[in-house]
Amino acid sequence: MNDSMSIPHLILNASTVVQIVMFILLLGSILSWVVIFQRSFVLRRAKQAHKAFEERFWSGIDLNELYRETPAEQETVGGEHIFRAGFREFNRLLPKTRSPQAILDGVQRSMRVAWSREEERLNLHLVFLATVASASPYIGLFGTVWGIMGSFQSLSLAQAATLNTVAPWIAEALIATAMGLFAAIPAVIFYNRLSSESSKLLGKYEDFSEEFHSILHRNLQGRAESGAA
Amino acid sequence: MAKHDRRVGYGLPALLAVGLHVLIFVLSVISLPADEVEQPSTSIVQATLVSTETTTDQAQRAQEARARAAARQAEEQAQAEEAQAEEAQAEEAAEQAAAEEAEAQRQEELQAAQERAEAEARRQAQQQEREAARQQAEEEARRRAEEAEQQAQRREEEAERQRQAEQERQRQAELERQRQQEEAERQRQAEQERQRQQEEAERQRQAEQERQRQEEEAERQRQAEQERQRQQEEAEQERQQEEAERQRQAEQERQRQEAARRAAEAASQSLDQAIEGESESVANARQAQEAANGFINLVRRAVEQAWSIPAGSDQNAAVTVTVRLGPSGELLAASIGQSSGDSAFDQSALQAVRRAEPFGELRRLPAAAQSQFRQFNLRFQPGDVR
Repeated sequence: MNDSMSIPHLILNASTVVQIVMFILLLGSILSWVVIFQRSFVLRRAKQAHKAFEERFWSGIDLNELYRETPAEQETVGGEHIFRAGFREFNRLLPKTRSPQAILDGVQRSMRVAWSREEERLNLHLVFLATVASASPYIGLFGTVWGIMGSFQSLSLAQAATLNTVAPWIAEALIATAMGLFAAIPAVIFYNRLSSESSKLLGKYEDFSEEFHSILHRNLQGRAESGAA
Repeated sequence: MAKHDRRVGYGLPALLAVGLHVLIFVLSVISLPADEVEQPSTSIVQATLVSTETTTDQAQRAQEARARAAARQAEEQAQAEEAQAEEAQAEEAAEQAAAEEAEAQRQEELQAAQERAEAEARRQAQQQEREAARQQAEEEARRRAEEAEQQAQRREEEAERQRQAEQERQRQAELERQRQQEEAERQRQAEQERQRQQEEAERQRQAEQERQRQEEEAERQRQAEQERQRQQEEAEQERQQEEAERQRQAEQERQRQEAARRAAEAASQSLDQAIEGESESVANARQAQEAANGFINLVRRAVEQAWSIPAGSDQNAAVTVTVRLGPSGELLAASIGQSSGDSAFDQSALQAVRRAEPFGELRRLPAAAQSQFRQFNLRFQPGDVR
C-alpha cells in the first residue's frame, strides 16, 4: 500500500462535499457516543436509586415519616418523585373533601403527571440516537455517490482510463460509507438497549404507583368505615 | 444516596466519547504505516551501502590515527614530567650538598675558635708561670727579663700566629679543593642534565616528525581516497553521459525507423486494405465452412442420440432426411428425401429428428451460413450409430 492510499491522506485529499459529509458523520458519531455514555450512567443510577427507595418503602416505615425524610419536590427523581406527588396530593385533599373517590382520583392524576415527567427524563436524547442510527448510513451513502461521480468525471477527463485514476476516488468515497456505518451501528445497538432499559424502569414506576394507590385506597376505606361507625 | 449524585453531567461522557474516537483513529493510522516502513528502508540500503562503507572506514582510520597521536602525546608528556622530576631531584641534591658544605664550614669555624681559645688559655697559663718566675726573680733584671720575656712572648706569639696562619692556609686550601670538587661535580651533573634535556628534545622532535609524517600519510590517504572517489564519480558521469548519448541515439534511431515505418505504412495502406478485405472474405468463408461442418455434425449427433433403431432393420439400410429449420433452429418440416425401402425405419428416423429439435446451435453460426442451413439433408445409416 503506497502513501497515497493511506486513510488520512485519502480524507485530506477528498473533495469538499465528501469532506463535509465526513465531518457531519464524525460529529454525529461523537455526539451519539456522548448520549450513549450519559444515558447509560443516568439509567444505572436511576435503577439503583429506585431499588434503594423500594427497599425503604416496603420496610414498614410510616408514610408520613418517609414523606418528611425525602427531600423537596424539585430534587426527587424516580419512584420517590411519584410517591411524593401522590402523597402530597392525598394530604392536601384529605381535609377538603370527604369523598374517597375524589381523593383517589386526584392522587392518581398527580401520580400520572409525575410518571410522565419521569418518562420524559429517562427518554431524553434517545430520539437523537435513533436519528443518528437511521440517517447516518444515508449521509455516508450520499458521500460515496458523490465521490464516485467525481471519479467518473476524472475518468472522462483522463486520456488513458486506468484503475489508478479511479481508485483513490472510489476509496475516499467508500470511506464516507464506512464512517456512516461506524456512526450508525453503535447508535442502533445502544438505542435498542437504552430504550428497553428505560421502558423497564418506567414499568417498575407504574407498578409502584399502583401499589401506592392501593395502599391509600385501603386507608381511605378504613377511615370511611370508622367515620361511618 | 446524595441527591446531587443522581444528576449526571455531560463532561465525563463527552470526554469518554472523544477519547474513544481518538483511540480508534490512532489505531487505524498506526496499523497502516507499519507495512509502509519496509520499502523505504530497503531502498535506502540499496542506495547508500557502498558510500557508507567507505566513509565509515575513513572515519575509523582518522579516529584511530587521532587516538594514536593522543596516546603518543600523553606518553611524551609523562616523559617530560619524569625528566622534570629528575631535574628537581638533582636540584634538591645540589641544595643538600650546599647545605652540608655550609654546615662543614660552620663546624670548621667553630673548631678554629676553640683552638684559638685553647691557645689563649695556654698563653695565659704561661703568662701566669712567667709572672710567678718574674715575681721570684724580680730583683735581677725585671726590665730585661720583662723585655726578654716580652720578646719571647712576641716570638712565641709570632710563631703561634705563623702556625695559625699555616693552619688557616691549609684549611682554606682544603676548602678550596672541596669547593672545586663540588664545582666539578655540579658541572658534571649540569652537563648530564643538559645532555638529557637535549636527548629529550631530540626525542620530542622525532616524535613530532613521526606524528607529522603519520598525519601527512593520513592526509595523503584521504586525498588518494577522494581522488579515487572523484575518478569513480567522473567515470560514473562519463558512463552516464555515454549511456544518455547512446540512449538518445537509439531514441533517434528508433524515431527515424518509426517515421520510416509510418511512411511505408502510409504508402502501402491502400494495398494493405485491399489485401485485408480479400483475406477477410476468404477467412470468413473458411470459418463459415468450418462452422457449417461443425453444425452438421452436431445435428447428426443429436439426432442419433434420440434415434431408437427398430429391431431387425438392415445394418446397411440408409435413409436421407430433408430437414427445414426456422431462424432460431426450430424444426419446421422433416421429410424423407430418399427412402431406405423400410417404412418403419424411415419413420423412426423422422421421429428421431423431431425428438432432437430444436437445434439452437444454428443461431451461433455466421449470418451467411444460417440461411444456407435453413434446409439440408441428413443421411442416416444404422451402421454409423454406436
